[in-house]
Amino acid sequence: MKTIFTDDQRLDPKIRDSEKIIRTCVHCGFCTATCPTYQVLGDELDSPRGRIYLIREMLQNNRSPDAKTVKHIDRCLSCLSCVTTCPSGVDYKQLIDHAREHIELTYRRPLADRTLRAVLAYVLQRPALLRWAIRAAWVARPLRRAIPKKLRSMVDFAPHSLPAASQRDLPQVVPAVGEKKFRVALLTGCVQKVLDTAINDATISLLTRHGCDVVVAKGAGCCGALSLHLGRSSESRKAAEKNVEAWFAEIDGRGLDAIVVNTSGCGTVIKDYGLIFRDTELAAKALRVAKITKDVTEFASQLDLSVAANSNIRVAYHSACSLQHGQQVRHEPVDLLAKAGFVVVEPNNAHLCCGSAGTYNLLQPEISGELRRRKVATLEAVTPQIIAAGNIGCMMQIAAGTKVPVIHTVELLDWVTGGKRPEKLRGFAIELPE
Amino acid sequence: MLMPVADDRILARKDEIVRLLRRAVLDGVVIADPAETKAYECDAYTAYTCAPLAVVLPNTTQEVAAVLRVCHEQGVPVVPRGSGTSLTGGALPTADSVVVGMSRMARVLETDIGNRFIRVEAGCTNLSVSKFVEQAGFFYAPDPSSQIACAIGGNIATNAGGAHCLKYGVTSNNLLGVTFVSIEGEILEFGGPFLDAGGLDLLGIICGSEGQLGIVTEATLRILPSPENARPVLFGFETSAQAGACVSDIIRSGTLPVAIEFMDRLVIRATDDFAKANYPDTEALLIVEVEGSIEEIEAQLAIIVAIATSHGAVSVRQSRSAADSANIWKGRKSAFGAMGRLGDYICLDGVIPVSQLSLVLQRITELAATYDLKVGNVFHAGDGNLHPLILFDENLPGQLEKAEALGAEILRLCVDVGGCLTGEHGVGVEKRDLMPLQFSVADLDVQMSVKEVFDPAWRLNPAKVFPLAASADRQVLQ
Amino acid sequence: MSLAPTNESELAEIVAATSEPLRIYGGATKRLLGQTCHGVELTTSGMSGVVTYEPSALTLIVKAGTKLAEIEQLLDENGQRLAFEPIDYCRLLGSLGEATIGGVVACNLSGPRRIQVGACRDFLLGVRFVAGHGKLIKSGGRVMKNVTGLDLTKLMAGSYGTLGVVTEVALKVMPRPETVADIVLHDLSDGDAIRALSQALGSPFGVSGAAHVPNRKLTPLRVEGTEASVKYRLAKLADLLAPMGKAEIRLDASKVSADWRDIRDAGEFAERSGNVWRISVRPSVGPELVEILRRQLPESTALYDWGGGMIWLLVPETQTAQDTVIRQGIANLGGGHATLVRANENARSTVAVFQPMSAGIAKISAGLRRRFDPREIFNRGIMN
Repeated sequence: MKTIFTDDQRLDPKIRDSEKIIRTCVHCGFCTATCPTYQVLGDELDSPRGRIYLIREMLQNNRSPDAKTVKHIDRCLSCLSCVTTCPSGVDYKQLIDHAREHIELTYRRPLADRTLRAVLAYVLQRPALLRWAIRAAWVARPLRRAIPKKLRSMVDFAPHSLPAASQRDLPQVVPAVGEKKFRVALLTGCVQKVLDTAINDATISLLTRHGCDVVVAKGAGCCGALSLHLGRSSESRKAAEKNVEAWFAEIDGRGLDAIVVNTSGCGTVIKDYGLIFRDTELAAKALRVAKITKDVTEFASQLDLSVAANSNIRVAYHSACSLQHGQQVRHEPVDLLAKAGFVVVEPNNAHLCCGSAGTYNLLQPEISGELRRRKVATLEAVTPQIIAAGNIGCMMQIAAGTKVPVIHTVELLDWVTGGKRPEKLRGFAIELPE
Repeated sequence: MLMPVADDRILARKDEIVRLLRRAVLDGVVIADPAETKAYECDAYTAYTCAPLAVVLPNTTQEVAAVLRVCHEQGVPVVPRGSGTSLTGGALPTADSVVVGMSRMARVLETDIGNRFIRVEAGCTNLSVSKFVEQAGFFYAPDPSSQIACAIGGNIATNAGGAHCLKYGVTSNNLLGVTFVSIEGEILEFGGPFLDAGGLDLLGIICGSEGQLGIVTEATLRILPSPENARPVLFGFETSAQAGACVSDIIRSGTLPVAIEFMDRLVIRATDDFAKANYPDTEALLIVEVEGSIEEIEAQLAIIVAIATSHGAVSVRQSRSAADSANIWKGRKSAFGAMGRLGDYICLDGVIPVSQLSLVLQRITELAATYDLKVGNVFHAGDGNLHPLILFDENLPGQLEKAEALGAEILRLCVDVGGCLTGEHGVGVEKRDLMPLQFSVADLDVQMSVKEVFDPAWRLNPAKVFPLAASADRQVLQ
Repeated sequence: MSLAPTNESELAEIVAATSEPLRIYGGATKRLLGQTCHGVELTTSGMSGVVTYEPSALTLIVKAGTKLAEIEQLLDENGQRLAFEPIDYCRLLGSLGEATIGGVVACNLSGPRRIQVGACRDFLLGVRFVAGHGKLIKSGGRVMKNVTGLDLTKLMAGSYGTLGVVTEVALKVMPRPETVADIVLHDLSDGDAIRALSQALGSPFGVSGAAHVPNRKLTPLRVEGTEASVKYRLAKLADLLAPMGKAEIRLDASKVSADWRDIRDAGEFAERSGNVWRISVRPSVGPELVEILRRQLPESTALYDWGGGMIWLLVPETQTAQDTVIRQGIANLGGGHATLVRANENARSTVAVFQPMSAGIAKISAGLRRRFDPREIFNRGIMN
């Protein structure tokens, strides 16, 4: 596509990058076919191709965008389905992140919107505060009508119960059971360890039982994805910096074979640390960190997971966008589940987002709700006993729309290889063979 | 590209027209903010752009009819739009026009496996139709490369083909009926879930009419049983001429493959990056696909391999698995997009008699050299439908004009050897002014008079298909 | 005395100069099709011969008056054929003479292979014709794919000469398969037969003809291709259709071909008197429609082709209001159309031979005729 930037504008490296990205787009429209928001809304402006157009205009004009432009860019889930589809290799991820940052820097949102975004960015990354906030939401629930509409979704989406904090999520090294083969770091994250402690517990159980020393590095915390997708790139960098330093200290110290991530939304961003910190002092360290970062299913593929017997439990695998599009990890989770004796089925339109997308379900509840409805319908159509997913966001989103238990892939793998039966199966007659 | 001057009287009444449009669509979308209409200023042909007065995205045939009634009464031009994947500017608006987009009308209305048809709304994507009947063992045959995204309505407008039409025919051979809205807003039914409706073949003239006659809102499509097996084979050649001659001989042999596709080195490299199809690293490549039982496939391949070898094929690779076949086709079907990695391009669509392939490919190379432009070739060789991709840099002044001039010469060459300007992309605005290369004044007059039966005031899809000069007088008369 | 121009310019002069309506024909084999129509006789048979034949490009260009039999022989010598298998109307209509390709195009003929590959329109790449103002017009071309401009070629096919006089046609020809064979089911009710045909047509085994002859309780299915392939597919079809009772496989190509010519030409009705209708509906409703029509029009006989999608119906001439009964029956079952193919002159001038159109479509058709033939000189009234 044609671009018109001035030489002055091109002095900004971000503009230079974005121009290059826009120039590779041939406007073929393939991306519209796999874009969830276009599927729901049918408007060019809510497709990647339309957004690239809006972003080009916004960046070329070099001024604060209008409300309509912001509306359509905000509606993007950053699911990156378009990146998988695009034959021209348009780096939409980088472009949309740049656009969000540009909006955050140049556009003044209405008060309610601003408040919501600020609260989300602040609270979600701080586990203690998040716990407190969720309890506050329980109190506020009867009063929801009194809450401004924009903010109501926060109350609506707050989970109905919270697990106690897990000791496993504190900085420590959990040693391998038996012979040690690998030393890996685990990102224990921010939101996940408040909402669902079982995932990290199962990951540590699976890894240690298969010969890994698991390090929960001191100083590592939120990966920065949440604030990045809210356009708050400097906050995001601060969070990311801490992780780079914390993990690099481990790499430099006793060494790491991998940084294992079991929330694929985070994994996508951590794998991008090299790009995020290029041209900075942290560049080399960040690149090292990014290079050894693996989704837990990627890493588990090289472990020899032994299973006693096929369970014939029917598991529908939901592929998180961050995993299938962001990291292009597709077959590993399916292969692992199948090898672990499950009957794995995949829904129609597996490439489409469930509508969770980080904070999207809080910011765009209507579109998000419609996407959940569609996703749950396709999942239930393959009549699973269990739905497996590799991302806490998707799990919460889907679980809110179905009675089928939604369980992290790693919990299932842990269970069938001798770990604990997932708590989420309580009340379901789903058992492993004797 | 000369476009008609926008009618100031329409521009001046924008608010009133938009108000009427909003009344015409209950749940549909009307977009009128210039910040938003801009995204509709072109389709996949980006050389020329013009934002419309407004965009309407109706939900039903009745809403389409209501919108057209407003446009008809207000004298506003109408630009129908499917998914906006036209490579010829088929959905390029004028500033005083209303774009009627079909994207929200994408429902499947009826599937009748026993009678082998499916009825869908025009916004359904081509691929989704096949996906919908896949479980029942059927498919919809036309498969344009943009099938993942392009709409059935647009397929009908351009009489779309694809790689597999060598055996199964193009859209018009697989279209049984349409629901159609005339410019006056009247809803008409042509054909239906049966063959050969009586009377004049109006379905035949609607198919391929590029939005000149009305808007198709629903379509009844013939679906076919999927073959038992299909296997693509890759043949690498050291020269394009060898590959071209091979195609002609395969067809003469009496074995009719389902598809014979050609790619040259430039395109092979660009697409393999994306599709990981493991194409041979040769000057030219043919993808030949055959279908049937394993024995039938082997028998046909034996003949085809012998012919290819006799033409000097340096590599032969059969697909090893369903995934391998999928990648081989993914590469071919994403070739246009993948060429975007190399730069901007114009994609041509001329057709020539298969017997002229070698000669024409040679001439294209020579022409490209005189223009100092790179040309990649990827096309449906079995039916002689060329897609030369002329690479240029859109940001450099004068380059587009130069690329267009080369394009015109190549198309002239196609016509000179007995071919035509476009095989499946349509005329659009892109080739509008080249029409006299192929048609006499009298030929065009008859075509334009057919348009006038449907659209006497020339409101539908303005400035497409017919040279502006040729239609100007008629438009005044009407 | 007929006018018989020998080239396009002669024809153009005649058309430009005439003040009388013209009755256009080729070999005079289908003059009894359509509504009664009169005018100064003009035959295209004076314009004949092959213009270009390129087997390796599957292309044949011939002048309109070229005899169909000559074309078929030429193609046969080159291992090719017209895949759309045009019906020979001579038997049904009792006409003498030899069909020309111009007539085949004008009537958009097809045969049992219609359902698999299409009709004449689907193989027509281009036409040249003289329009009502006496000008020579070309549309389409000679190449396999062509969307350059509006597709007048399709419009000309099946227009019964009412839009212009076709002078030259370009056709896509196809390789002739090595052999032909069929599998015949016996003693099936119409309903079971059509279900069997539909099942076979929904299979991947390349059925190129699917008919049912109720009188003789025969239900043949045709396959074509190499010998090995044909045998393989017949065996597959036999398996598929095993629940339908005994199936007979016939490998004698010349016998099979002759029988399918008979199906193509509705030969069974050729020797019998009565009106013949050609009905097209969705295949699954065929048997029900025939059942209703047999009841309402006693002594009617049906033949099913195209897997039941096309029905030949023989109705005694004496049955009154048969057009209304048939067309009402079709409308009640989800739509379709009926054409009166054979009837006496009186019927052909009083009954609507072609399926009446909705007002909107009739308006468009009339508008098109006015544009192509403003003076209404070509086969005036033959289609309405």
